[in-house]
Amino acid sequence: MAKTALYEYPAELREEFEATEDIHFRDGSRATAADVWHFMTEIGPKRYPFAYTQKKYAGSRLSRDIHLPSAIKNHYLLLTMNDRINKSRENGAPVIFVQGGQSVDPYYAAGGIALRPASVGLWARGRHEGLGLNEEAIRSRNQREKANHAISFEACQTAGYANIQEDDLPVDMVAPFTCLRCSDISYGVEAHRHGPNKAVKLMNIDYPMRHQADKPWAVEYFARNLRRLTSEIGKRAGREVTDDDLTKEIKLHNEGRRLAIDTAELWWSADLPPTNGVDRRALYQMGGMEIHGDPSASLTVLRESNAYIRERVKRGIKAEGVVDKPIRLFVCGSCVFPNDFRIEEAGAIIVGQDNHWSDISTLVAEEGDPYQNLAHAILSYPYEQSIEKRAEWTIEQLKKSRADGVLFLYQWGCNTQSAIARMLCDTIKRDSGIPTMIIEQHEGGSEQSEQLLNRVNAFIEML
Amino acid sequence: MTVKTLEVIRKRLDERPDELRKARANGQKVVGWTGYNVPEEIIHALGFIPIRIAIGGDDRLVEVGGRYASSKNCVFIREIVGAFAENEDPYIQQTDVLAFDATCLQNFRAAEVIEYYFKRDVVVLGVPRNFYWEEGQEYFVNEANEFTRLLEERAGAKLDTVKLAASVALYNDIRKTLKSIYFFQAAKDNVISWEEVFDLIQAGDLLDKKEYLILLQETLIELQELQPDPVIEADGADGRIFISGSLIPRGDRKLIGIINAVGGRIVGDDLWTGILPHLDLDIKEISPAGVALGYLNRTPHAALPYLDLESDRRLKKLHELIDESKAQGVIYHTLRYCDPFTFKAKETKDVLAKSGIPLLEIHTEYAGSDYEAMRTRVEAFVEMIKIKAESAAEVAV
Repeated sequence: MAKTALYEYPAELREEFEATEDIHFRDGSRATAADVWHFMTEIGPKRYPFAYTQKKYAGSRLSRDIHLPSAIKNHYLLLTMNDRINKSRENGAPVIFVQGGQSVDPYYAAGGIALRPASVGLWARGRHEGLGLNEEAIRSRNQREKANHAISFEACQTAGYANIQEDDLPVDMVAPFTCLRCSDISYGVEAHRHGPNKAVKLMNIDYPMRHQADKPWAVEYFARNLRRLTSEIGKRAGREVTDDDLTKEIKLHNEGRRLAIDTAELWWSADLPPTNGVDRRALYQMGGMEIHGDPSASLTVLRESNAYIRERVKRGIKAEGVVDKPIRLFVCGSCVFPNDFRIEEAGAIIVGQDNHWSDISTLVAEEGDPYQNLAHAILSYPYEQSIEKRAEWTIEQLKKSRADGVLFLYQWGCNTQSAIARMLCDTIKRDSGIPTMIIEQHEGGSEQSEQLLNRVNAFIEML
Repeated sequence: MTVKTLEVIRKRLDERPDELRKARANGQKVVGWTGYNVPEEIIHALGFIPIRIAIGGDDRLVEVGGRYASSKNCVFIREIVGAFAENEDPYIQQTDVLAFDATCLQNFRAAEVIEYYFKRDVVVLGVPRNFYWEEGQEYFVNEANEFTRLLEERAGAKLDTVKLAASVALYNDIRKTLKSIYFFQAAKDNVISWEEVFDLIQAGDLLDKKEYLILLQETLIELQELQPDPVIEADGADGRIFISGSLIPRGDRKLIGIINAVGGRIVGDDLWTGILPHLDLDIKEISPAGVALGYLNRTPHAALPYLDLESDRRLKKLHELIDESKAQGVIYHTLRYCDPFTFKAKETKDVLAKSGIPLLEIHTEYAGSDYEAMRTRVEAFVEMIKIKAESAAEVAV
């Protein structure tokens, strides 16, 4: 079978791109824009051809908004994950599996690298070079199958079991927050106890629930969980973690959070969408400073992007491939989202998502006991509050983002988000009048099923 | 041979909903509780009538509940939500206050759904996932104090230590008597079946506690008269089955019925609607904290993750109970979307295999559509363990 040609960045873009800023890494090293260009045009297509697919709807394909440097740099950071994480580990930084939708300040304060499931998946993916889109999809499905076999076919989140236990991905600790965002996560952590990799340290950072931020004992308990966490990471990183280390890290991460909030407000204020949905999501998520496994790198790219977005908004520049007046969708629910390419083809755009945004938009106080401050902020994530409070916050985001409709999407097997889908949607409709739709996503890869997309498209049409 | 007191208990259960209605008319309040670490003695000592909300086996209610929660919640939780939606269960109808705990996250979500849609007054007890840490225990003590405070508000009275001590003593006696009765069902030439004891245990979820203790004591006396010297002994052809896994509440007898129908004999369980919650509950101090810690330090529920396989007390207890009951195989019951047990099915199978104990996982829900598939698998399993036991007996001869 003839191989399909891979996507190529236009050569005429090189000069413009190479004039953009360097990426600064946490270890003090940097990648110049020329380094990035070289990797993305020469090395990347050979090592990771799947990312260069021309397939229109492939979720992992590169953004075509080539004049937005952050889009290319984001992909560069994702495709170099294996090289970078291995290098950091060799330099003594332990890697810790966390879950998405949580802040990672304490992990980095203690000298570790916090990787959520998607990032662990990217790291694992980076170890298998030369795979095309279908080969990569098969590899990924095989991994999923291994985890389901070792744990349960009903497991949605397996805490990286397949990669860490079955494929020797050298993760040092599995230590996520156990919040309601994901009901599987703590059982996924527990499952590692029967795997062959006995070297991995297991911990659940126990997230209390029910009015937790208003209960001093709950805040204290979570703060003590965080202290245990930094101590364990510190042992592996060969250092003692001080309160100052955490305060410093909180300040750094607050900078990312503030920048993401500012970027989001700029984006939302624009008459014409300044980026496509994929790039928007990447930008907002960079504020969490965890997706790339290097907060400094995420921060430098986000800073540069912020300036680009400001300029685009000021000049009324619309992102390529987006219609003039798209239907604006806000996505709620668990860790999944609809295929942006298909959404945009149908004349809509995703303007925000409660997952991740809940923690990214929660700033941490910088004065006083950093553990208490962090614990209080984390227990205040809007996503983890009572239904009325969560709905109130969501409506605020809907207004800011000028959303026309809400899609509540959850993954098959997700118990705790699916359970509140109707309550949240009913409250949003009651209090804001904004239409909502609940969809369950079955496993089907990033392209998603026709059935799911038909429903989304019908919703868009209705709006 | 029948145990006459069991008939009395059945009759009293029939009369119980009316009795509750009358008690409420006289100003008493009923607390419906569900969860795995709800300190029931506190509810009792505050003068409430505690009723455990544990119902299952009705696929129609599961469907109704799924409309409010989701089809991805475990069938037990969906049925509870469905029962509140319909409000036809005679016990649910009589509840004034609900007490849920957060041991299982889906149970916590059920509390939110019931509070939101059915406007019920719900008190929630937070439960630490790191329950074996000192910090986790301190957190739970604070939660228990808060739980008590919220119930005191609803009772219009403070918790009296003397009353709490009396409740603890009453519940301790119930647990002790249940344990003694439970022994008889596993005995050779047993005069009471595991199924009868299982029903007896679940009757305690609903009956008045003082009366329940008297009925249990009468049952025990009867059993002692009928079988003065019970001995638990494996019989080659018994097909002795131990049931583990997701809870089996009142109303759900599908799996139990199948095991009986194919000639298996259930001789033990570690179900949370069976004997397990009544074992090893040691209350060291008469206070909300003391009672709560007694609950938390029992054999932990599978919804609370424990990260070291070798020292897992749940698995140790499972081994211990299998040994005591001389069971020859385990049927591990997992309900659809019950993650606490489903996630551990393969692991439990592997752990028991090391001790030569076979395990069959039955993954099911409350619909009848999988009845024949379950029956085929259970029948093959029972046959297999019978053949294995008979072969072992022949070798011994």
